[in-house]
Amino acid sequence: MGAAPTLMARPGLFEGYDTGGFYDEMFRAPGQPRPPYAKLFQKFAALAPSHFEERRKLADLSFLIQGITFTVYSDGRGTERLFPFDLIPRIIPNSEWRHIERGLSQRVMALNLFLHDIYGPQRILSDKRIPRSLVYSCPHFRREVIGVEVARGIHTHICGIDLVRDSKTGEFCVLEDNVRTPSGVSYVLENRIVMTRTFPDAFEDLEVLPVNHYPAELSRILRSLSPRGESEAQIVVLTPGIYNSAYFEHTFLAQQMGIELVEGRDLIVDGGVVYMKTIRGLTRVDVIYRRVDDEFLDSLTFRSDSVLGVPGLMGAYRAGNVALANAVGNGVADDKAIYAYVPEFIHYYLGEEPILRSVETYICAKPDDLAFVLEHLPELVVKAVGESGGYGMLIGPAADRKRIEEFRERIRAHPRNYIAQPVVPLSRVPSYDSAEHSIGGRHVDLRPYCLYDGDKVTIVPGGLTRVALEKNSLVVNSSQGGGSKDTWVLRGES
Amino acid sequence: MNRYRLIHTTEFAYDAPVSESYNEVRLRPLHDERQSCLSFRLTTSPNSRGTAYRDAHGNWVHQFNVLSEHRRLKVEAESVVLAHSAPDSPPDRTTLAELDARRDQLDEEHFDFVAPTGYVPHLAALGEIISLAEQASDRTVMGFAEAVSEAVHARFRYVKGATHVHSSIEDSLRLGAGVCQDFAHLLLGVVRMRGIPGRYVSGYLVPHPSKLDARQQDVIGGQASHAWTEVLMPNNTWVPLDPTLGEPVGLRHIRVAYGRDYGDVAPVRGVYKGRAGQQLSVDVRVRPALDDAGCEQLAETAAPLTTSLILERPQQPPQQQQ
Repeated sequence: MGAAPTLMARPGLFEGYDTGGFYDEMFRAPGQPRPPYAKLFQKFAALAPSHFEERRKLADLSFLIQGITFTVYSDGRGTERLFPFDLIPRIIPNSEWRHIERGLSQRVMALNLFLHDIYGPQRILSDKRIPRSLVYSCPHFRREVIGVEVARGIHTHICGIDLVRDSKTGEFCVLEDNVRTPSGVSYVLENRIVMTRTFPDAFEDLEVLPVNHYPAELSRILRSLSPRGESEAQIVVLTPGIYNSAYFEHTFLAQQMGIELVEGRDLIVDGGVVYMKTIRGLTRVDVIYRRVDDEFLDSLTFRSDSVLGVPGLMGAYRAGNVALANAVGNGVADDKAIYAYVPEFIHYYLGEEPILRSVETYICAKPDDLAFVLEHLPELVVKAVGESGGYGMLIGPAADRKRIEEFRERIRAHPRNYIAQPVVPLSRVPSYDSAEHSIGGRHVDLRPYCLYDGDKVTIVPGGLTRVALEKNSLVVNSSQGGGSKDTWVLRGES
Repeated sequence: MNRYRLIHTTEFAYDAPVSESYNEVRLRPLHDERQSCLSFRLTTSPNSRGTAYRDAHGNWVHQFNVLSEHRRLKVEAESVVLAHSAPDSPPDRTTLAELDARRDQLDEEHFDFVAPTGYVPHLAALGEIISLAEQASDRTVMGFAEAVSEAVHARFRYVKGATHVHSSIEDSLRLGAGVCQDFAHLLLGVVRMRGIPGRYVSGYLVPHPSKLDARQQDVIGGQASHAWTEVLMPNNTWVPLDPTLGEPVGLRHIRVAYGRDYGDVAPVRGVYKGRAGQQLSVDVRVRPALDDAGCEQLAETAAPLTTSLILERPQQPPQQQQ
């Protein structure tokens, strides 16, 4: 970094902005933007508040018109909702992005090798590098797919790995892996489109790396899995239906890839082969990008009360007559207790040092860790190992006594179901507070979407930045009041 | 060495047409050093298309489907099995105290056969049987396991219909009664809580030759379908125990599948489309494949078992192991 650029622009929208003692991604000190943000800062600072407000409303309208919504479970307030979009983009410096990209590629490869091993020879268990009990007690470990050969050895076709920047070190680290059916990539693509439309001048003089090749890359990988060869491949997206929180995304991706969107009832298995019911009869299906969870996928093999899946599907999968992305049983790799062993997977399978740091994790299934966690609940974040989306979580410092005691009981009753981590002070990015009509620092995370084709990992530059729009909140999940930002990686060193 | 021909027929009768029936069966007898499965034939009516695989426990699984409308579904598995005498292995003299020193290691290596399951939760009430069996035994692992089998056999009554296919050991403990599925689960619960790995065995008990031409009304309740257990000795041999019968496991026990509990080995499991109620009947016929004169002789050992359920799609036909 060179000398601080002299910035004569009025602070405008950023008047009185306070970095609050956190790592602020835009400002290294009040009024002093970091170099990658310099141009962006000038543009926003020069903007009259009324102009900003106008653009903001335009962006919201744009999302509403396009029907880009998500669904919140169990809050009793109707199902569909807009995912709040914050107009101020987040920039990931190019050099830092390249580091993240290397780290994520390494991690995805290691997770894939772990899954291939654990449902195959289980070398890592014989070599005692992870306790068998921890793997076998994982609620998402699927004994039903032990010994199943997956197409091209790929389990983790699509991963959404959550990163956070630790305010203490300023360094990105991995918070959790999502290797089942991660959602959110449609927002990455839509955020960019809306941003370009409502704020074209923000992109002036800046070369932002594109993200729109994601559907083509995903489509290429899905096609490569076809048991009947690529030219004949019939690929479908399997959705649980309109009540699923990510239904919009399912329709979006199917449309972007030019493939059919189906529900379980549109497919039928006969003699270990999957067919799609069409007006012209049955058409064979080769690859299913499934957005239905394992336990609902096949009522013959998993939950018999599921009507979301396709009975007999696992038989077709096992016989190699259909490929599923992601593979069945991946939940064992993103279990939050298994997470603590991912650095070990990287050593064991790749013989490398982890490039990205993990967050220190206490596994409540271990007696020593359990004792520590129960002693320090008010300081820790406790997470249910098999949950995602911010459900089943305790943030100690923000919780009242009653909630802490409630968790203490839950952890005591089922220690294997919980892990705990120190609170990571997330970095902040200036964001608009619609209640206060001003811009303030808000905590963010980053979920890049990684696509693995069996040889290499492709990651669209940036990913989804989720922002906790409520002041002082650390929870960025869309289901818990989070919003999102367009996320930029700029070409060239900056 | 005994040679048997087994015909296991499962028949579903629906009171209205059903369709898109998907089924998974574990009916093929195991083939290993103690038992040879010489032939196995699975037929269904209506005809069906299917696939086969071996599950994580090494069991053979056949899946098949019937798409068109039907009012009956008949599944017939016919196998010829040769039962061998178990190879002699030196008795394991490891004591319970020695086992305790290795307990963490066993918990780890044989997690699936030590951990509690839905059918076999670890319950404080089992503690009584543990201490009773410890006192009654010579304090070796083998002696303890045998004492547990005897205790379960003595303390629980065999009552057909006392429990149902989804009953856990909590039910049989409360009732003091059950069928072979419950007896097997109870034994597993006790040994596992004591830190000894145990597995569920699903199979057949061939009626005693002297009773071959009589309707069986004793412990096997007219059904040759049976369930018992195997317990892992510290010298790594699995020792079979039959707490229902209370007799040594021998050449009349034909093994079909291993699992953590009944849930892993259900002989027939399925889902179908339709709002019809169903009647299930199971019939197992077993006969020596050839009698001394080289002739084949059939003996009926089974009475039809009927249940009636009104279920919406999907459902699981219950078939409790007795």
